[in-house]
Amino acid sequence: MSRVFTIAAAEWRLWMRSKAALAALLAVVLIISATSVLTAVRLTEERQERVHQQEVAEETFLSQPARHPHRMVHYGHYVFRTPSPLAIIDPGVDSVTGQSIFLEGHRQNTAMFADTRAGANVGGFQTLSPASVYQTLIPLLLIALGHGVFVREREARTLAPLLAQGVSGVTLYMGKALALAGLGAALLIPMLIMSLIGVVSGEAVGVSLALVVVYGAYLLVWSALIVLVSAVVRTRGVVLGTLVFIWLAWSLVTPRLAVGSAGAAAPSPGKLETDYQLLADLRELGDGHNAADPAFNALRANLLAEYNVDTVEELPINFRGVVAQASEAKLTAVMNEYAERRMAQEVRQSLHANSFGWLSPVLAVSAASRHLAGVDLETHHRFLREAEAVRFEFIQGLNKSHIEELSYNDDINRNQSAEAARRARISPENWTVLNQFRFEPATPDERFRAATASITMLTVWLMALVTAGVFASGRLKS
Amino acid sequence: MSGMGRELWFLGRDRAAKVWLFIGFAAAGLAVVFGLMEVTAQRDTIERLKAADEIERAVTTDAHRDNWGSAAYYTFHLTYDPPGPFAFAALGQRDASPWKHRIRMLALEGQIHETDAANPDFALIGRFDFAFVAAMIAPLILIMLLHDLRSGERASGRYNLLSVTSADARMLWLSRAAWRVGALTIVLLIPLWIAGWVSGAGASNLLGAGVALFVHLLFWWVVIACVNTRTWTSTVNLTALLGLWLAFAVVAPAAIKAAVDAAISVPEGGDIMLTQREAVNDAWDLPQEATMTPFIERHPEMEPYAEIEGAFEWKWYYAFQQVGDQIVEPLSVAYREGRARRDELAGRFAWLSPPAKLERVLQRMAGTDASAALQYEDRVRAFHGDLRAYYYPPMFKGEPVTDALLAERPSFEP
Repeated sequence: MSRVFTIAAAEWRLWMRSKAALAALLAVVLIISATSVLTAVRLTEERQERVHQQEVAEETFLSQPARHPHRMVHYGHYVFRTPSPLAIIDPGVDSVTGQSIFLEGHRQNTAMFADTRAGANVGGFQTLSPASVYQTLIPLLLIALGHGVFVREREARTLAPLLAQGVSGVTLYMGKALALAGLGAALLIPMLIMSLIGVVSGEAVGVSLALVVVYGAYLLVWSALIVLVSAVVRTRGVVLGTLVFIWLAWSLVTPRLAVGSAGAAAPSPGKLETDYQLLADLRELGDGHNAADPAFNALRANLLAEYNVDTVEELPINFRGVVAQASEAKLTAVMNEYAERRMAQEVRQSLHANSFGWLSPVLAVSAASRHLAGVDLETHHRFLREAEAVRFEFIQGLNKSHIEELSYNDDINRNQSAEAARRARISPENWTVLNQFRFEPATPDERFRAATASITMLTVWLMALVTAGVFASGRLKS
Repeated sequence: MSGMGRELWFLGRDRAAKVWLFIGFAAAGLAVVFGLMEVTAQRDTIERLKAADEIERAVTTDAHRDNWGSAAYYTFHLTYDPPGPFAFAALGQRDASPWKHRIRMLALEGQIHETDAANPDFALIGRFDFAFVAAMIAPLILIMLLHDLRSGERASGRYNLLSVTSADARMLWLSRAAWRVGALTIVLLIPLWIAGWVSGAGASNLLGAGVALFVHLLFWWVVIACVNTRTWTSTVNLTALLGLWLAFAVVAPAAIKAAVDAAISVPEGGDIMLTQREAVNDAWDLPQEATMTPFIERHPEMEPYAEIEGAFEWKWYYAFQQVGDQIVEPLSVAYREGRARRDELAGRFAWLSPPAKLERVLQRMAGTDASAALQYEDRVRAFHGDLRAYYYPPMFKGEPVTDALLAERPSFEP
């Protein structure tokens, strides 16, 4: 064991003596620090801003004066998606999805105002986050510093004497791998700090540490690969060329090919397109604004029979409110069916894309990272579902007030005069049907479950590469 | 054999060079295939939407013919921004910004920010289009092709011999590098030009893209040549060049974006929505003159018909929809101007990052850049204005809904 450390320490001493290595290391540390600070500041501001906007939206709704209840149905409400604490490491889909939704009666609106729409467009990777630095940049540093671990010994003709002295190839491999892994561990310190900041701002400890561990495993995958290639390939130029090629294939090409493949294999018609089908379905349900719509004949007949009266005017409850409530419920069931189908399609697309993690650990780690940080596609979907639950609840609450607090006669005569319009209002106490909404990240359990597949891929990658490395180094000859 | 010809022969025998050139060719080929597939899918979507929209509008128009107010309330109009013939090469903003919208005569600010976006994972990872290959991958391939031109010969001990025996040593390195730059340009452009020919892109776009790509590769050639003049080993060269690639292609764009976004602020989207909603909803409780006076300022021709008699009249309803837009106009204009200025500033700073500049140039040619997205938004606004101009006169004058008038209803032309 001590031999392994001696070998690793020799490697570290070599890097410490190399000005180029130190310069590269310094540059990367600077980039990590800068992106960490910038991302943390930006996301923390976003969090506060959106919580604030949510509070303002709720106060505004509750402070509305006396009104016709259906006015409040269309006055509507806003919900905002606050990013999870770990978004300071991986902002995930936060910036490419809308952050707020307008909730109103009879409609499911889309999330609006994605950052990417308003931001400057400079192509390529656009924004760097700590996550993207760890996923794509740090492997390049590891390649630059580590590609020579075995080749160097070959070039200096020190490999044969080492092996002859009884240092086994496997020990050598372990030492070299430890050297790179140690470097990776040191580079993880900024991420550890960021995850502790996440814990301080309310994130569970387990999932925060798991995120760091996943990135640790990812850097180990690279370390194992680099040592393996360095051991198997004989000339330095070819080692470096091979590693750069793999880096290019894993981090630049495969993720985008996965997107192209998922888009082609599991096409998902947009909301606009399915809305047309939805509209055709809805026409059969009747217009909830029009209580005379024949679609509500059965409802009317049942109510008249139940209260044993002949006309809707004689009902003790407001029939227009009953129609509004019934049609909202039916409508919502249909809209939810379409929304669920669309979300299922998107999940299928993402699963398809994520399965390319078997071809590229970069995809595996980025998916695992988004899942663990609570900034994945499913989080956005959960936001859409929770927003819909809020919408349905307050709309139906308002419709209930419409049924119980406003008489049918006042209601149908509301446009006769200003005085009649005033009579058709109900008091603001009825607005308390709106519940407080704070978007919370999924529970650690759910996030672990979502990340399992990608973590498995990463583990398999690591085991395969280490096995290959041990096997290859066992057969090392000078 | 001439010097130039001999270098071509060398290139043909260099296995590593051939592999990297093939990778370039394959990447460009895949990119244009994915691009063409995506563009075709978008066109098909638009065709299906147009057909569905026709049916939907015919049905709703039939169902709501009592008056112009409900006709306008219930009929939606499809607007869309079809991809141009060169869009396959650079899909640009089309993943983030909307290119299809349904709008109606209500306050526009409540509708125009709706985004029917594709899978956010896609927008996050990005598309494998030609612009990406040309801007991000091509420089890496060039680096792999050129980084050991001199140092490789040095390592194999032929450098001095070659320098001495060749008539003009500078010409030797120049022609050796030139063949590689030229070959890479060609293997990248062949798929692009074939795809461009298939999709009917104009010759000016195809040539322009070729020139832009070539200039971009020239920049990298100069960078590589500067590093190569050092008497470093191949690996040091390569490491230094990878660092420069990171600096130019990844770090610089991120820094530019962060700086531009920080320098130019745009109003919070939430504020636009909240202001708009308050304005429209307050109008219900305000005296009707409070709505009609600012409305008449915009539409003086409607003044003779602007008397509101009952507690509810459609013309009053649409007037306060319009006044809602008018009230939020300063914010909305600032949001639009802010985005335009960000784009303009990003364009100016993009020179600091040639890959970013190339992507922007290609997106501009393809009509998929931020300004194209803004122009589409402007067209939607103009169309919404047309709808108002169409509906207001008969609605305010209380004319009946007739087939003849309905036939004149504007429809969106991209």
